[in-house]
Amino acid sequence: MDVAFTNYQILCFALTAVAAPFLAFILSLIFKKIASIFGLLSITVSLVFSTFLFFSVWQKQTFHFAFSWIKLGNVSINIGILLNDLSVIMLLLVSFVALLVHVYSVEYIRKEALKYRYFSYLSLFCFAMLCVVIADNLFILYAFWELVGFASYLLIGFWFTKKKAVLANKKAFIMNRVGDVGFLIGLMILLSQFHTLDIETLFGAKGIIHSSFIHNGNWVTPFASMPDYWLTIAGFCFLTGAAAKSAQFPLHSWLPDAMQGPTAVSSLIHAATMVAAGVFLLLRVSPLFNDVVLITMASIGLLTAFMAATIALTQNDIKKVLAFSTISQLGFMVLAVGVKDNAAAIFHLSTHAFFKCLLFLAAGMVIHQLHHVKEYTKTKFDEQDMRNMGGLAKLMPVTAIVFTIAALSLSGLPFTSGYLSKDAILISVFEWAGERGGVFWLFPIIISITSWLTVFYIFRVIFKTFFGEFKLPLLINKKIGELHLHDPNLWMKIPAIILAVFCFGFFFALNPFNLESSWLHHAFNIKPHSDSSLHLFVPIYINALSLVLIASAYFIYAKNKIVFTNHKSWCYQFSYHQWYFNVFYDKKLVSLILWKAKVAFWFDKNIIDGMVHLSAKSTLMLAKITDWFDSYIIDGFVNGLASLVKRMGVLFRAMQSGKLQHYFVWMLLLFLSFMIYKVII
Amino acid sequence: MGLLSVLIFLPLAFGIVILVMPKKLNSWYKYISLGVSAVQLVIASYLYYHFKTGDAFAGVNQLSQYQWLENLQWIRLDVGQFGTLQIDYLLGVDGFSIGLIWLSALVMFVATLSSWEIKTNLKGYFALFLLLNTAIIGVFCALDLFLFYIFYELMLLPLYFLIGIWGGVRREYASIKFFLYTLFGSVFMLLVIAGLYLSVINPITGNHTFNMVYAMNPANYLEGSIFNSLSNTLIFGFPARAVGFVVVFIAFAIKVPVFPFHTWLPDAHVEAPTPVSLILAGILLKVGGYGIIRIAYGIFPEAAMSLAFWMGLLGVISIIYGAMNALAQRDLKRLVAYSSVSHMGFVLLGVASLTSEGLNGAMMQMISHGFLSVMLFFIVGIIYNRVHDRDIYNFRGLANQMPVFTGFVMIAFFASLGLPGFSAFIAEAFTLIGAFSSQTLNGLLPRWMAMVAALGILLGAGYLLWTLQRMFFGKLRLKKEEWKLALTDVNTREIIVLVPLAAMALILGIMPSIAFDVMSRSVNQFLTMFK
Repeated sequence: MDVAFTNYQILCFALTAVAAPFLAFILSLIFKKIASIFGLLSITVSLVFSTFLFFSVWQKQTFHFAFSWIKLGNVSINIGILLNDLSVIMLLLVSFVALLVHVYSVEYIRKEALKYRYFSYLSLFCFAMLCVVIADNLFILYAFWELVGFASYLLIGFWFTKKKAVLANKKAFIMNRVGDVGFLIGLMILLSQFHTLDIETLFGAKGIIHSSFIHNGNWVTPFASMPDYWLTIAGFCFLTGAAAKSAQFPLHSWLPDAMQGPTAVSSLIHAATMVAAGVFLLLRVSPLFNDVVLITMASIGLLTAFMAATIALTQNDIKKVLAFSTISQLGFMVLAVGVKDNAAAIFHLSTHAFFKCLLFLAAGMVIHQLHHVKEYTKTKFDEQDMRNMGGLAKLMPVTAIVFTIAALSLSGLPFTSGYLSKDAILISVFEWAGERGGVFWLFPIIISITSWLTVFYIFRVIFKTFFGEFKLPLLINKKIGELHLHDPNLWMKIPAIILAVFCFGFFFALNPFNLESSWLHHAFNIKPHSDSSLHLFVPIYINALSLVLIASAYFIYAKNKIVFTNHKSWCYQFSYHQWYFNVFYDKKLVSLILWKAKVAFWFDKNIIDGMVHLSAKSTLMLAKITDWFDSYIIDGFVNGLASLVKRMGVLFRAMQSGKLQHYFVWMLLLFLSFMIYKVII
Repeated sequence: MGLLSVLIFLPLAFGIVILVMPKKLNSWYKYISLGVSAVQLVIASYLYYHFKTGDAFAGVNQLSQYQWLENLQWIRLDVGQFGTLQIDYLLGVDGFSIGLIWLSALVMFVATLSSWEIKTNLKGYFALFLLLNTAIIGVFCALDLFLFYIFYELMLLPLYFLIGIWGGVRREYASIKFFLYTLFGSVFMLLVIAGLYLSVINPITGNHTFNMVYAMNPANYLEGSIFNSLSNTLIFGFPARAVGFVVVFIAFAIKVPVFPFHTWLPDAHVEAPTPVSLILAGILLKVGGYGIIRIAYGIFPEAAMSLAFWMGLLGVISIIYGAMNALAQRDLKRLVAYSSVSHMGFVLLGVASLTSEGLNGAMMQMISHGFLSVMLFFIVGIIYNRVHDRDIYNFRGLANQMPVFTGFVMIAFFASLGLPGFSAFIAEAFTLIGAFSSQTLNGLLPRWMAMVAALGILLGAGYLLWTLQRMFFGKLRLKKEEWKLALTDVNTREIIVLVPLAAMALILGIMPSIAFDVMSRSVNQFLTMFK
């Protein structure tokens, strides 16, 4: 399809694509009855225009439109739209997956009283996410980045009377805020150094980042300079921001909790799109990272991928397993950015969006149907616990098939999309380690182990859920026939089937065995891999062992022939309790901060306010002393004088008795005293 | 008589009308007050709309560039050898005051609507309320230090009675504390004002003057006078101008309030009736910020620059310390009061950075906090009015009980914690950007200050979301069964109060240039004094 649109048309398309969900957000809150129609309609519009944009921009041009938003004398911030290859592929991906999830949600959320809120929040999310993707300026990117987090907050807490859900959404928002603070500091550093936050001007092919350099311990740009460690700090700041959004170690623990939200939300936001925004940010600012940051990034990605995979091995909640799987896969992407293979990161981001979204949707189908069973039979059980499942493949064949396809893709088995993208990352890691040697060989070793763990945990889910014996009937004392368990209706099945189709490698490469023939990977790949023998060797050794692991998972979980997990062992407990991160955060970190807050309040009440009271009291004391002085000394003097006069009055009055003899005596005495006085002097 | 005089004295005139009106018309008082506020809001909007921007209207230290100037000779007293005592009735607005005037008009309007809850002694209440209104607008318009001081002190009197008579349980303690604390600062400021009078000469008439615009120009200082920067007078061994700056700063820092002068605020807020809380948070704190910018920084720029580090430090401490204290509160109103300390810390930090971004951000933060803190206190008032309790732990799951109210609470909380799309986000982001780039631009503030202050945003999310989770989400559980009937959703009057505040926060968040356009010229002009 060769279409040429004018710039004006492209701008209109882009604005329509993002404005439609926003309109739906508002309208859904007003016209509550038909909220789902607004949601569906708006995201369809977005998808259509995203497709137009994709075909007019992909591999052809970079479209940039901006206008002045804030002018403060010499500082001005422009906002606008930046469409390049990365934007349009993300645009297409987000709107496509979002449309499928909207369709799925119609059925999933049908019985909720407040479903207009659900669709309105979902539209808000789509709006914010699409804006993140096309923002041309890091400041605006940051704004929508937070708005995405806010939409996620609303959706995680959709069932706001559920205590776990509201604890989870608070945790998600606050942990993301940690990342946001990092992001914001990164922005401050960039703005102070480059006086602009425009992505194209900063990081484009002719970006000014390339004209900055380190000189004599200073990081010098055309505008300013500061000590060179700020370059590293800037890198770490953006890494923190991305780590929080993409649930990387040590800011990952919000994502498993976020599974308290509706499953459709988990699938769209916490698997396919929002969590990928962190990786997207890393890709956008990748020219900024120096070696220290890149190696840290690779290590964090590696550690996260490995950690999450080990945790996923033992979880019993089907959504928890998928959540940790998401964290692990995001770790793969971060690792890819860390080893400077952006193409592989984008590629894996895209393929992962499809298969992980599908895994969640399929899990949601199981949960949804079991929930119906729960309501129908009026019994109580946890519909997300895999220990209550088993053998569902016979009852829900479509669900089982799509889930398995997605699982194959996640495992990276041949013919699937995951095969190509995971292959790309593994090869890059091998090459990267080869260049550096030494301790860096740990990276390919651990990432290979993680790949095998991935295969094992996802097939553990399949075998526990869809194979073996159905355990629920025994638990609630009903027969299987009484449960009326079956595949859900078309609203849920069709999106899942469409996604399943996209899990095959043909859509991403004409030759599903050859990474180099992939159009998506090829578009971003600057330098092709030098050592082609890796293309042969890596997939073979990974997949060979994977098959063995699938077989062993089958015997362990479907047939229960091998029992090797000791639930009391240290390893099992460590994995089951998610490496004790939650314990550490909740018990130690949060209570430490609250304790500090109490200390601050004590200080405020007793010391600061105490000083105020002290000064008030000492003033009062001074006043009392003055009062005492006034009444006893000053007034005492006055009173003393008065009483002296009084006494003298008394004395003199006594003289004037009116008796002549007395006067005569007084006169005599006076005369005598006078005479004596005169004589003596 | 100019528009500014009308704006200032309209409430006073109607306050007198209320005083002489017969008691049996006491249900009219609130409507009269509301009418006065509405007219004021219209006038203020007119002023804002017709406010001219551009380099020729920057104001600050150029008297001729002020708009709606009113200059009347007020007191002329021949004092023998000291010449003529000259006090002018001088009013005018520039980019720093126009936004705050409009904010004051809106907050007064909202506070009047909120005064419906006052049931006792209506005549006294509304008379004092209108007197307060006059004083507040006067403070922002006055350009003569003496006039400014009169309005400034005039605010205290009605507030003292409004808290002391219509307040909560410990109202007498709170009102006296508030009164004395503020008076303590301003009395010393009066000495500085007297010193300035003796130092500053009106360049046209040659008389001593209280004109604060003239005081910003070093050329107008009498040779050898106490505050002349060349005369190097010492007070207690410190340069006179540094002492002058510190004294004036402390006077206004008490109002802001800046750590460690803030402890009157939680008490005054908690005890004050809701409308007075709104005025305290919405306007009174801004008088402090405005005074620091216009008087402390404007008149003593070089002293301000040499103490910039300490100003910034106090700002950062206020941000973190206020937020930590908010985190420890059980009383919702106290929590909001401490959050004000935290948010106003950004103002000081932005001003201390002396960068364009920082100052614009600080001004924006004042206006934004004006809307948002008023909204927050009004929200507390809504709950308190219904059940006379504010303890966070006595409520849970209000979202189902009061859905519309919860919607407003979420808007107010998220706007306060700096969600993009709301004004606080722009304000805080710009303040931080300014504080951070200060090191590169003028070397005043170290970079770590902005980074530490950014943690305040994190803590803000902590205490607000925690409150949201504890009070509004989860299953409904109240301390007393009968509260369930008392806790009705918001009524029309309350919606009328909340909607414009939320709308303003949103509009300024999306189109911040509405405010920035008006003030950025003045900010740039202001910054030229610090070269």
